[in-house]
Amino acid sequence: MTEMPKERKTAVKSTETVKKVRSVVRTMYSRAHQAKEQGIPVAYCMAGCAYNEILDAMGIVPIWTENYAGLCSAKQDSERFILKAEAEGYSNLICSYARTGIGFDALRSELHGTPPGSPDGGMAEPDMLLGCSFACDPRFKWYQALGRYKNTPIYAMDVVIPSVDADMNEVREYYVKYQTEQFKGLVDFLEKQTKKKLDYDKLSDVIDTTDETYRIWWECYQLRKAIPCPMPSEDHFNAFVPGLFEAGKKETVDFYRELYTEIEQRVQNKTGVIDEEKYRLLWAGGLPPWHNMWIFNYFESHGAVFVIETMYKPPDPAKIPVIVTNPLERLAWRSILRWTEKHEKARQRSHNPEVEMILDMVDDYKIDGMVTHASKSCRASSMGQMFFMDLVKTYVKVPSLQLTSDLVDAREYSQTQWLIQIDTFLETVNSAKRGKNL
Amino acid sequence: MSTIESASGGLAMADKLYQNRGGRARELKAQGKKVIGYFCNYPPVEFLTALDLVPFRIMGRPPKATSHADTCLETIICPYLRSCFDMALDGSYDFLDGLVVPHSCDVVQRIYDIWKYYCKPAYSHFLNVPHMTQPSSFEFFKKELALYQRSLENFTGKQISPDGLRNAIKLHNENRALLRELYEFRKLVPPLVSGTEATKILVAGLTIPAAEFNELLRSVVEEVKKRPHGSKTKRPRILLYGCEMDDITFVQLVESIGADVVIDDLCIGSRSFWLDVPKTSDPLDGLAEHYLEGIRCPRTYKPSISGHQSDLDNRFGYLLKYVKDFHVDGAILSIMMYCDTHELDVPDVKEILQKSGVKVLHLDNDYSMSNIGQLRVRIEAFLELIA
Repeated sequence: MTEMPKERKTAVKSTETVKKVRSVVRTMYSRAHQAKEQGIPVAYCMAGCAYNEILDAMGIVPIWTENYAGLCSAKQDSERFILKAEAEGYSNLICSYARTGIGFDALRSELHGTPPGSPDGGMAEPDMLLGCSFACDPRFKWYQALGRYKNTPIYAMDVVIPSVDADMNEVREYYVKYQTEQFKGLVDFLEKQTKKKLDYDKLSDVIDTTDETYRIWWECYQLRKAIPCPMPSEDHFNAFVPGLFEAGKKETVDFYRELYTEIEQRVQNKTGVIDEEKYRLLWAGGLPPWHNMWIFNYFESHGAVFVIETMYKPPDPAKIPVIVTNPLERLAWRSILRWTEKHEKARQRSHNPEVEMILDMVDDYKIDGMVTHASKSCRASSMGQMFFMDLVKTYVKVPSLQLTSDLVDAREYSQTQWLIQIDTFLETVNSAKRGKNL
Repeated sequence: MSTIESASGGLAMADKLYQNRGGRARELKAQGKKVIGYFCNYPPVEFLTALDLVPFRIMGRPPKATSHADTCLETIICPYLRSCFDMALDGSYDFLDGLVVPHSCDVVQRIYDIWKYYCKPAYSHFLNVPHMTQPSSFEFFKKELALYQRSLENFTGKQISPDGLRNAIKLHNENRALLRELYEFRKLVPPLVSGTEATKILVAGLTIPAAEFNELLRSVVEEVKKRPHGSKTKRPRILLYGCEMDDITFVQLVESIGADVVIDDLCIGSRSFWLDVPKTSDPLDGLAEHYLEGIRCPRTYKPSISGHQSDLDNRFGYLLKYVKDFHVDGAILSIMMYCDTHELDVPDVKEILQKSGVKVLHLDNDYSMSNIGQLRVRIEAFLELIA
């Protein structure tokens, strides 16, 4: 069994372009500090709420609090924040992103300043808190809890997704209408806070830029179907950062163009991640273990490469009707199309969009095995993994493994247990693959 | 003889229904009625009543440990939901003709697909409930309710008329009023209805049609009225805060140690009946208003008023009214494990109660009461503090 080097927690990346993401992240936090000094509004934000473009258009600098929690974990500096939150009365079972963020702000309040040595200079003090209901409840409850430590204006909005049972022709209109109105409510709040009106033409331009970002990013990931895999999942878990948090910036478009060029070259040169790619794996669910991303390299030391993943993937190209010109409506359409992209296929087959995505990936990326990560403190990303795997296996015979720990709380991680499980799993993958080849 | 007919008196009937949950629903099913299971307070029961369906609130079965559910559901989720699902997998919920799941919280939302896949209910519907309460949220929710109504009508082959829906609303509002009348007896010192009895009555009501529950409640109120008052010494008076508490073990424990649980803020308790569905010309407007704003659950976001204290008053001020009206001495927050929604509110709930002079005990609730020994020790110490 290959042991983890004592000093290594982060993953060794394969592509050069993604190594630039570290400076992108550093800039995200330093930009917020500079903005504060210059009197430019700064907001705590949640990923995936589809309001990035609105903030860009209004010149509001976002601080992505979930990203900060992941960063702290990767830097092995989340424990003090988590313990602080728990000391404040927050259960050790709740979302560890929230515990990290609440703990950080509780400490900041206690110390009357950024906790010393905070990764990347810490999060700047926000001028507003922007929660949303997309993906999980902590994403609007967390900022509500921060009212204990700061008297900062707060706004929360809904992001709604129709059930796969719903007939889209029956519900699409009122879902789009509601989503548009939710964005409008946010704009009203932001205009009040900043005392500036949203420039809708600028918003349209930013959305156009985001569309371009998503297009190129999506194209990059089609290249990853190549054998050997040109870019593994540990690279993706850096590469997604500009797309998720900075999609409206020209630099992000350039980033993915550069990434595309690099991946294309690797495909042409048949440059893989490791010398001998024996097994192609799918990261089939759950957020990665930010505290020990090295684990991807451990898989690779056994010839297994994660070639694609379901988390933080670029959206499939969305066909918004051309008559939709109002930028808020465009955002609403895009959000609903994104989260229902597999609905129609699901209605024809598995009746589950997540499963459809996995089945498509198993086929497109020639997958030999699937791995999921259940986080003790994340119901949203963990619940249903066993069900998905069960359902997937009624269609394809691909072995799966569920690892358990936590997103950021390293106390829940057992390296010994993981390595044993992984070794056993890879033997299963090997047997299954040999069986297929007979 | 049916379950309802065989018991003498409302309290005895409630006890019988509590002990044999599903018994009455099975009888009604044998008579040709359809039984629809639902989670949480959010699916309007009025629709089911209007279509002469039997509403059945899905509950678990503590203290029985889960087994079947462990093979297909992660253990790091709400233990109440796992218990319910375990029952579904072993056939305990085979009498249900359908399933309605609201988007109340992360876990309940996600059980929909899983339950459908493993249990294959004849009818199922997912009700998308907004988390926000802006004017557009009510409009959206009204559309979702209309969709749900059409779905039920398709299933039953019947239509709900506006008058039919109004009558159902009236029936369930009577239900709510009767429960509030019952709770009035808990304001007395000492209360005339124990927390244990109240839990049994509430659970019983969640398993039978509204008209039958109204009859049961009237009978209970008549019985309770006749109880002698003021004969017992005053004991510490407790407000019980949490979410799903459909078993008497915890309340019975608190009361056996020497306190009276006089009021609750629980899913199956006051949250479900404290406010009526308002009368509106379009009944769907009243239902949307009630079920989105009238159910005071942490899953619904209440916008922040200026300042922390104002925000607490806005979100939890009703608890202070309970404290005052029910002469509460202490509060026990029994918070379901793995429940982010409630847990993220705990420090705020504690703060507003403590500032008003109420002593607070915060306990983890694993639903099965497996740690009853530890709970006893902590509750004993807490009650000594209050005394």
